[in-house]
Amino acid sequence: MALISSLRSRVQATEFYRSVFRHGYSGTERNRYRTVLTNVFLHLHPLRVPRSSLRFTYTWGLGGISLLLFLVMLITGVLLMFYYAPDSRRAYDDMKDLEFAVAFGMFMRNLHRWAAHAMVITVWLHMLRVFVTAAYKKPRQFNWVIGVALLVSTLLLSFSGYLLPWDQIAFWAITVGTNMATATPVLGAEGPFSLVGYDNDLRFVILGGRFVGQSALLRFYVLHCLALPLVAAVLMAVHFWRVRKDRFSVRVSSLAAEKQAAAGQAAKVDVWPHLVSREFLAMVLTLVVLVGWSLLVDAPLEEVANPNNTPNPAKAPWYFLGLQEMLVYFDPWIAGVVLPSLIIIGLAVIPYVDPNPHGVGLYGFRHRPYTISVFLAGFLLWVVLILIGQFFRGPGWNWYWPWESWEIDKPIYAKGTDFPWYVGAPVLLLYCGTALYLPRRLWPTVFVGLSSGKYVIVMGLLAVMVSLPIKMALRLLLNVHYVLVTPWFKI
Amino acid sequence: MSIKANKETYDGVWMPRRDFFTRMTWFTFHSAVVGTLVASVRLMFPKVLFEPPMSFRAGFPEDYQVGEISERWKKRQRTWIVRTEEGFYALSGKCTHLGCTPNWLPAENKFKCPCHGSGFYPTGINFEGPAPRPLERFRVTVAEDGQLLVDKSRVFRQEAGEWNNPDAFLRLKA
Repeated sequence: MALISSLRSRVQATEFYRSVFRHGYSGTERNRYRTVLTNVFLHLHPLRVPRSSLRFTYTWGLGGISLLLFLVMLITGVLLMFYYAPDSRRAYDDMKDLEFAVAFGMFMRNLHRWAAHAMVITVWLHMLRVFVTAAYKKPRQFNWVIGVALLVSTLLLSFSGYLLPWDQIAFWAITVGTNMATATPVLGAEGPFSLVGYDNDLRFVILGGRFVGQSALLRFYVLHCLALPLVAAVLMAVHFWRVRKDRFSVRVSSLAAEKQAAAGQAAKVDVWPHLVSREFLAMVLTLVVLVGWSLLVDAPLEEVANPNNTPNPAKAPWYFLGLQEMLVYFDPWIAGVVLPSLIIIGLAVIPYVDPNPHGVGLYGFRHRPYTISVFLAGFLLWVVLILIGQFFRGPGWNWYWPWESWEIDKPIYAKGTDFPWYVGAPVLLLYCGTALYLPRRLWPTVFVGLSSGKYVIVMGLLAVMVSLPIKMALRLLLNVHYVLVTPWFKI
Repeated sequence: MSIKANKETYDGVWMPRRDFFTRMTWFTFHSAVVGTLVASVRLMFPKVLFEPPMSFRAGFPEDYQVGEISERWKKRQRTWIVRTEEGFYALSGKCTHLGCTPNWLPAENKFKCPCHGSGFYPTGINFEGPAPRPLERFRVTVAEDGQLLVDKSRVFRQEAGEWNNPDAFLRLKA
């Protein structure tokens, strides 16, 4: 032991060592600060953070775990790239080689795939946590918007990576997904008010051709391996930087404590070692779970892509099943373009239309009963849509109970009844009018502090959200096909 | 901008020279940025497609039986050739909902899309499921060698009244 410690002190005395690490290791305050300040990887941290911000039961470590999963995919992705060529003739064979011929190829692919799934979940939960603890409120409004952009990047990264294995589910998920772009208003060939044809619309530029083929594979490869990770990395840098600059939100237990925290009076501890050690622990535990899972469960690979044989049912990846389920109830351009855009926009505007400054750092339902209820309802709705798509849809996208065999032929759901326009139009107008007029009339206290413009935005978005379960009930229980049919759109 | 501050000094002058050059410089800068952006977007639209040709010869009219929904070209060309009493039409094998390939079910006399359950009659008219409109038809003509010539780049839509177009249906002379 004496030998080792004398060796260590001799190494630490060398000019080389001192040029790399400019600070000592002993836990003096000066050394702790210098550890963070002089290290490029640690310096996104502040020097000190509020002690209560570090409580695991406040953040659940979700942001940090998301970053870790991103890094795992960066490393495993680079390794997988050594054995994968984005060539539609050999991509699938490369996947098979990764499974059977490359040492640890399957393991790396598993890590990559499961980390991707896990990251979608942690990013969603991170958003839920930030919402419930009101951490998006002043001065952190814009960082919430960056967070929404990161959520979109995460989903786009998943979507673009989905094509690369070039198996059946890859081919058909991307075929269905990109065909939604054809239904985009103005920019899609089949959308309302279209200005373009099949040879120059949005889908054409995404695929680089008329159908999912070689150019689409190359485009998705470049997007997945280069363009989108770059975008995500830049957004992450801004996100983390702002977390630091806007100060960490402080976990409090009462409104009075919240005021103190806002004034910067919370008790603080040094980032090194208090925050860094927690990050390390979260990293190790996450990796243990991820590696264990990847050893036990292999990432699926279906048959090679075949444009002439559509699997039945052709399901999107589970995190997009909510979208696919919405397609049942509305026109493609509404379900595939308008609603997703409204969801993203609706999420992004939350900090700017929430007039209530309270609740920051508080797991307190009492202080924000309405906002939290609405957000949880939306979150739950999304989860329910995914569960329906995953467990209740079988061949022909028909309704199959989980205990039913898909071998049974279901009576095809007949095209249900449409409301005639003289019923549908008044019903829709009445719905919109009620949604905009009644709430403020009935419960004026709920909307105190909300300007008329913001009120319209909030209730408009809410009306759209509520319309989804209403339409689902109409369709599933009463077999109503469309409420209003016009030559331009059907609702 | 110095225009307001120095208004008296430059009385009668349309714009001080310094402001003029400042604006022209910014104008040049922004034009270059916009131009580069436009060029980048245009680059993403390929001018040449390495995709199979859009028209194909589908054999001789005698090869098909009246009333047959021929699946002969489904695999290679994603097209059904339908022979009726009067003549031929070519149906696109692309569901009008989200572009999956429907299956022809002879027992039920209909096309059925596996993705979201849209159903179409042999004519291509939709009758169930989420598909918003009928399957498209392609142009069918007779080539010089007497074979059927299907041109998939020429599309006819029923809801636009295009199925009445003479090219959408190959009428055989009795």
